[in-house]
Amino acid sequence: MIEMRDITKHYGAVQALKGASITIPAGKITALLGSNGSGKSTLVKVLAGLVSPNSGSILINGQPVVIRSGNDAQARGISTAFQDLSLLPMMTVSDNLLLGNEPRTPFGMVDREKSRQIVKDLMDRFKIRCSPQDYVQSLPSSTQSMLEIAKAVHRNPRVLLLDEATAALHMDEITVLFDILRDLRDQGLSIVFVTHRMHEVFELCDEAVILRGGETVKSGPVTEFTLDDLVYYMTGQRMAHHAPGQDVSETSRQGQAVLEVKNLSLPPRVKDVSMTAHAGEIIGIGGLEGQGQSDFMRAILGAKHKTGGSIRFLGEEVAFRQPAQAVKAGMGLISGERNREAMFPDRTIAENIFAGNAAVGPRFRFLPKKFVRKFSEDAVKTYRIKIGSLKDAASTLSGGNQQKLVIARWIAVGPKLLLLDDPTKGVDIHSRLEIHQILRESAQKGMAVIISASDMDELLEIAQRVYVFYEGRVSGVLQGDSMTQENMVSLMMGFTNEKADGLLMKSKEAQA
Amino acid sequence: MSAAEHRDLIPWYHPKKLLISFRRSPPLVAFALSALLFLITILINPKGLNNRFIGSLILLTTLLAISSAGQTIVLIGGGMDFSVGAVMSAAAIIATYTMDKQDSVLIYVQVLALSLLMGAVVGLLNGFFVVKIGLPAMIVTMAVSNIITRLQYVFTSGSPAGWAGQKFVDSIIYRFFDLIPSIVIYALLFVPVVFWILNRSRFGKQVYMVGNNRQAAYLTGVRVNWVIIMTYVISGMMSAFAGILGAGYKATARVDIFGEYAFTSLVAVIVGGTTFSGGVGTYTGTIAGALLMTVLSNLLTTLGLPQTMRDILNGVIIILLLMLYNRSKAVRQ
Amino acid sequence: MNTLTQSVKKFRRTPAFTGFVLFTIALVMNILMQGINSGTPLAFFKPAFYGSMLMTNAPFILTTMAQSLLLIVGLFDISIGIQLALVNVICIMVPQELGLPIWAGWLAAMGANLLVSAAFGACSSLLRLPAMLVGYAFTFIIKGVNVSIMSKPQGKVPKEVYLPYQTLIGGVLPVALLVIVAIFLMWLLIKRRPLGKHLYAVGGNPRNAYAAGISPVKVQMQANLLKGFIVGVGGICLTLMNASGNPLQAEDYGLRSLIACILGGMGFGGWGSMACGVFGASFFVLIQNAVYYFFSYLSKVITGFAVSTYWQNLVSDVILLLGLLVTIITAREQRKTLKEGLFNQFKGGEARVSR
Repeated sequence: MIEMRDITKHYGAVQALKGASITIPAGKITALLGSNGSGKSTLVKVLAGLVSPNSGSILINGQPVVIRSGNDAQARGISTAFQDLSLLPMMTVSDNLLLGNEPRTPFGMVDREKSRQIVKDLMDRFKIRCSPQDYVQSLPSSTQSMLEIAKAVHRNPRVLLLDEATAALHMDEITVLFDILRDLRDQGLSIVFVTHRMHEVFELCDEAVILRGGETVKSGPVTEFTLDDLVYYMTGQRMAHHAPGQDVSETSRQGQAVLEVKNLSLPPRVKDVSMTAHAGEIIGIGGLEGQGQSDFMRAILGAKHKTGGSIRFLGEEVAFRQPAQAVKAGMGLISGERNREAMFPDRTIAENIFAGNAAVGPRFRFLPKKFVRKFSEDAVKTYRIKIGSLKDAASTLSGGNQQKLVIARWIAVGPKLLLLDDPTKGVDIHSRLEIHQILRESAQKGMAVIISASDMDELLEIAQRVYVFYEGRVSGVLQGDSMTQENMVSLMMGFTNEKADGLLMKSKEAQA
Repeated sequence: MSAAEHRDLIPWYHPKKLLISFRRSPPLVAFALSALLFLITILINPKGLNNRFIGSLILLTTLLAISSAGQTIVLIGGGMDFSVGAVMSAAAIIATYTMDKQDSVLIYVQVLALSLLMGAVVGLLNGFFVVKIGLPAMIVTMAVSNIITRLQYVFTSGSPAGWAGQKFVDSIIYRFFDLIPSIVIYALLFVPVVFWILNRSRFGKQVYMVGNNRQAAYLTGVRVNWVIIMTYVISGMMSAFAGILGAGYKATARVDIFGEYAFTSLVAVIVGGTTFSGGVGTYTGTIAGALLMTVLSNLLTTLGLPQTMRDILNGVIIILLLMLYNRSKAVRQ
Repeated sequence: MNTLTQSVKKFRRTPAFTGFVLFTIALVMNILMQGINSGTPLAFFKPAFYGSMLMTNAPFILTTMAQSLLLIVGLFDISIGIQLALVNVICIMVPQELGLPIWAGWLAAMGANLLVSAAFGACSSLLRLPAMLVGYAFTFIIKGVNVSIMSKPQGKVPKEVYLPYQTLIGGVLPVALLVIVAIFLMWLLIKRRPLGKHLYAVGGNPRNAYAAGISPVKVQMQANLLKGFIVGVGGICLTLMNASGNPLQAEDYGLRSLIACILGGMGFGGWGSMACGVFGASFFVLIQNAVYYFFSYLSKVITGFAVSTYWQNLVSDVILLLGLLVTIITAREQRKTLKEGLFNQFKGGEARVSR
């Protein structure tokens, strides 16, 4: 049995965990649930040794332990299958499964016979259909996920952590996995199962622990919860049982249609999505993390290439081959993945603000120093970005100020359409409000804004219409009176009327 | 009070702040080390401190700084150009062959046009292969550079190709006040161009963006592949220009005469604070690096050591410089 | 038959396939050109010919094999060429100057090169200095050391020592080939040890390798030492081939071996094998030969046709660049597997039903 008590973790000003506690009993499958930003991933990472908590204690069978690294965790019998995979793509399936754990002959060679046997057993058990000699990079992502889990199980753990393990799996694979997990549970393993699919909780798990805002809000046997309860504890909202579907009649709108998307497809992430945005509108895209929101935006920008559907921008059919064309036509994208996709960390604040202008203006025209400085000074003043000096590296700024900087970069260029992909991720509440203010002002001046956010309250507050994504499709559109938290929650979980009712029945039956 | 505000209250001349800005600025480190090594050189051989010595120091530094300009731009963009030496040699051969001891504006224009065209074509090849084949820049530019060198052999049959015009030679090595070599005039024309491209144009900003975070640059709307190809083209043209000046300095040119500049330019650029990973670096740093490398080579000569010891010392010092540079990076993070 | 097509398919996905294709092309060209040139179609298969070709090029092939080992762990060493000269110089000078037996010279040379390799490893993986410039600096240092040990080309090896290397066993099997095969077998042995797997893991992703309990620095050091050993053997071969010493020879093997590795299909870290090195280096050698025969044939057929070796070198270097271009096509099979994977994922994505 493992206990985690009062774990806290903050990244700068952002509090990821505020005293979360969890008990993981042996011989049970514990569901770890929570909405976006609830801290469940952080909690898993603490136990896996990848994140060191600021305070709190971890007890294994009543003994306090410190887990400093991945190796520490493994030595204590904790094994993790990560969502972002720890496989080596350029090595074979067999080598990956056995890495660091190779069976040896007395002469110190890798025991090939034994390896083959182990790998064969493991692959048979998980029904992985590929050759052990295939390179991992050549396998579909569902097989890779399965390998990641098989690798974790192969280490004979006492505790198995599965972080969104089923997200990339197919139905038949999920069935196989669940059988194996039940088997392992019966052998006495502690299993922690992180998922956003509610039906899996009722199908597989024995216990449920629910986090919200970095705290444990509820825990207990799954049989004591209804679907309603789970969703309520996760989001703080009761679910609407009759959420509107996709066919909301669009009310008349002032302003020109800036963007019209029809049946856009980008398998496997985006399927058949339609959306319209008018000048001066702020459109929200809601949903749990990773439901295709990012890929949808990138398909519009031309950073990813759609396989079906059409995009009309400013009344013209477009198919951008790269973002440069989209930006030139008057679009802008702001990514919440600041470090990977938005910031130039080693460049100065001034250069970062000027980046949007630098990308579109005439390339070799002389650029007076004053011009760049004035440009960035104005932006800093207008958008109240707190900086030391314009010449400091952008990496010295806090998350909130970095994001304001990126937004300033775009607003200053004045695009017709601004796409924001979860822009307030890890941003403090004050900066968040300021960002909202900036967006509203820009919209009033005629810009169309499409914003996705993992925080639903944020969307309800700022957007005039919200498209909710679930597993790559729009599960519903909310506007006007239907824009309630209840409706939003049920669409986020992928429930339209019938589905929700069916599952509600199921969960009640299970209880009975 | 925030740390930044606190920092602003300390005057710039405060020793602590001096030390910090010193460590943060690789060009400053390189300049300071150059001064130190220069002092040592003078102390060892006080007689060496004469106009001739200083003049040749300036001349060689200028030549190296000009040859390293293209490399700086390519490295900042996240690539590497190994063909600097080969392009320089080829341009030098074009120059001496075309001039053939004659001086006239027409010939100068011919030399300039032919050399720059050659440099641009080589750069285009480099950039195209790097972007389209997706092989490491180092390997591709190396292969291209080999071919340029082979072409020189075919063209000259391995013997020196002609002589630079005397007036042109004079325009490089003439000493103003018996001290400052006239190559400085070319530098005064050339250096502003580099600063304009890197620091005062949107293209320069784009190069830094691509080098620092390629994905972010792509999503911000920069034509990443075009920018990368352009860095190689510019590098090829700048190397060709350096090669013409080199021809004036040496008066004649043979195959691969500036071959070593492939590496010396790289070292000068890296020592000046430009990183292999891209996105960081300045041309000021490269100038400082060029000065440092030239002073170092002078010091090794002055020590009067046998060639073997000079080689060993040279290698050891390069490793020490790399370590020093690495440490300064750690401080920044 | 089915298993044959399958194993062919499998081979096409391995990294060595790229090198193999180039190697085969070069080999066929070489056989053809030489056959045409000499008038006897199978001139290539005369033991005296391929024996001397292997003997001359064994040091280069071995060096490239050593380089490929480093590339697997994500490093490369351009001072590897001058290291051959270092081994050569010590092999000659220890017996000549100190009067020690020849094997002592070999031992000393091997030890010195292992030391150099360890130092290189310390700089590149422990201090994390850029391998490229460390190699450049090491070239200077080793050059200096070489010349201070041996100021100018000199020395000789007794006939009874170098002759065995230059003979053909049973009149058909060159000793040089045996040496290459021996080193390759050693590699196969290493590949089957846990270290073999760890080399790839460290080159592929040091962070994930570390998470699996592997120390990247340790593994990179081991790779450096193995490289040192192979270069040591290569240097001894060089000594036996030339039967004399030259402190400044083979410097260009450093860069050439690197290009040969890439031609053979290696990536920078975690992709490729020593077979890539062997194929790449052989391609290099065979192409140069083929071009030579081609030109000498032309000069025979066309009266008045005479070109310098400069032309030959140019043509072979252009072919090398084309070889790099060819790697896009030959590596397509590897990319295809990747695309197939994506396609499966695509179909699977559609088949997936959310309940």
